[in-house]
Amino acid sequence: MFVAFLLVAGGALAVAAERPDSEDEAVENKSEKSRGYLSGSFETNTTLYHKDVKTSATVPDSKFGSNNYLKLDYYNNRFSAGIQLEAYSPVLVGYPAELEKAALTNYYVSWTDKSFSVTAGTFYEQFGSGLLFRSWEDRALGLNNAVMGARVSYNYKDIVAVKALWGLPRFGMSFSDTQVRGADASVSISNAAGWNNVYFDVQGSVLSRYEALDADSEIDGCKANTTGWSARTNFETSGFYLKGEYVDAGLKYYYNTSYAGTGDMYYKKRGNAQLIETGYNNGGLGVGLTLRRMEWMGSKIINSNSSTSNMLNYIPAICTQYTYMLTTLHPYSARTGDLTESFRNSGELGGQLDVYYNFRRGTKLGGKRGMKIHANFSNYYTIYKEGTFAAGNVLFRDFSIDWEKQWTKQFKSILLYSLQQYNPSYGADKNLWTSHIVVADLLYKYSKSFSTRLELQYLHTKADRKDWVAAMLEVNFAPSWSIYVSDMFNHGSTMLNYYNGGVAYTRSRTRVALNYGRYKAGYICSGGVCRQIPAYTGLNLTVTTSF
Amino acid sequence: MLSLLSISSFAQMPSVKVDNVKGEQISTSSLLDDGKPMIVSFWSCTCKPCIMELDAINENFPDWIEEADFKVVAVSTDDARFTAKARSFAAGRGWSDFVQLYDKNQELMRAMNVTVTPQVFVLDGQGKIVYSHTGYVPGSEEELIKAIKKIK
Repeated sequence: MFVAFLLVAGGALAVAAERPDSEDEAVENKSEKSRGYLSGSFETNTTLYHKDVKTSATVPDSKFGSNNYLKLDYYNNRFSAGIQLEAYSPVLVGYPAELEKAALTNYYVSWTDKSFSVTAGTFYEQFGSGLLFRSWEDRALGLNNAVMGARVSYNYKDIVAVKALWGLPRFGMSFSDTQVRGADASVSISNAAGWNNVYFDVQGSVLSRYEALDADSEIDGCKANTTGWSARTNFETSGFYLKGEYVDAGLKYYYNTSYAGTGDMYYKKRGNAQLIETGYNNGGLGVGLTLRRMEWMGSKIINSNSSTSNMLNYIPAICTQYTYMLTTLHPYSARTGDLTESFRNSGELGGQLDVYYNFRRGTKLGGKRGMKIHANFSNYYTIYKEGTFAAGNVLFRDFSIDWEKQWTKQFKSILLYSLQQYNPSYGADKNLWTSHIVVADLLYKYSKSFSTRLELQYLHTKADRKDWVAAMLEVNFAPSWSIYVSDMFNHGSTMLNYYNGGVAYTRSRTRVALNYGRYKAGYICSGGVCRQIPAYTGLNLTVTTSF
Repeated sequence: MLSLLSISSFAQMPSVKVDNVKGEQISTSSLLDDGKPMIVSFWSCTCKPCIMELDAINENFPDWIEEADFKVVAVSTDDARFTAKARSFAAGRGWSDFVQLYDKNQELMRAMNVTVTPQVFVLDGQGKIVYSHTGYVPGSEEELIKAIKKIK
């Protein structure tokens, strides 16, 4: 099938090469002829670990960890090709263990013109919001599930866009034996009808996944092929928008951990999700509401593996992702179904509402330099009864408000309050940890190139490890130097300091940062997806450069 | 190595599909249609220095536009879960003078080899990169208008 697909892709490529396309030729003439250009990037993230008795910090045998990425892309008009090399010598503490040693992990060749593209090799792709299928890279998570295979896309004017793909998703340092085949199409009704003030489209996708089964699961009636689909629509007019997505992710098989020779060895569940996004953005006002319900939506590359990087779709927590230290102590991760003996929950339902408002300069509240406010409310529940929209126990709730004011040309302040409720049992019972967090973020610009930023934070809770206090001071010398020191102190229970300090130097597209600090066990979250990390203490060097 | 450097000196914005503010997919090559130089800034809802940089550009925009004819393209690299939030966010920051693009699976980000944000580029009217910088500390925005004014 792969060969057939490549033949089709190759044939299409040949047709595309023959097609006269005056606009493309114009672009070609404008750009430098024949030689093309090279673009690339290099990143190293290296840590030297040491013992820390107070936090029981993890120290690997090597006392050292280093994640390295080298990416090169060559572009010549419609043609491009690239590679990515990765080396883990060894992988940093807390990253997925399947990342090891060094390998040429990604490589591709691609042809793109105004209406047609074909890629052979590794590629990234996303259907709709990614609930059905997403392949992407997130280095903070140690995730790269690029697909090795072929992809073809074609669009007819700005009305119809279709794409098809086939390949093997990457897991760890190599490509898995699992196969994915998919197609996606979108039709812009408004562009076809020539409407000027309204945008309206309909979209759909289908994804088939194949993973060979062992004999036991075949006997139990599991299927090696599963097929899912999604239907979507997108409407926008004068700042108002409405998006809807329905996903049927196909049958999922979950091993029955209490199987004792009788009954079903596997639970068979149909993954499904509903997503609505609506809002209004205009004249300094931004209002956005997202509602989502989903059941059994976890989709793995390899069914029997439990690594955090083992995913074929994107099921993020849809709530505020904070950056202040104390606001991220209890982050929420979306629930995709629990099937233990004591607790069964098919997924989650909930949503979030965001309101942003910019009080413009010269208005009564805006003053001379303007003022910005933002409020968010996020609320998620377990599903009380499988197959229904009935809400069960609260999983997570967050209400936050932040207020930003530029007082003078030199001084700006941000004040944030967040009320978070977190369910440590993931919804098995009603017990919630409630935290109140306040943050003051104060920036003072002494001159065009010298500034300081101070963060003061406090978290109050009767749960977990009780109260925390934190502070951070950053000194900046534009455009190259930045130095910071910070400390997070748990004075409610452990009396431990989590100190940190560092310096960063930037020149053009190169950034070198050296940090030393103590990190608590917890979660690193990126893009709404989290991975667990153990406590560690050490010296970290990060170098990123690109050209 | 020298030949590699000579090749790389022509780096420009690749043609990649991204979403515009309406949620419609467009090609980045259409940004070159008006032949204006541009500042391209990659940002996300969770990148504080990116937001500070775009606010600083927004603050200076009325003065800068009197000195040179150019446009500002703000590329949100937020994943699909935050595309709607990023749109509301941009409206709430008053970034109405910017061309807003949404690179929800980071296709443009990867194609331009952006590994950390903030990352800002200055492109001439033909799409060639004439200036680029990683990271933002208050005051760095002055380098952008200098680069724009150097474009003949």
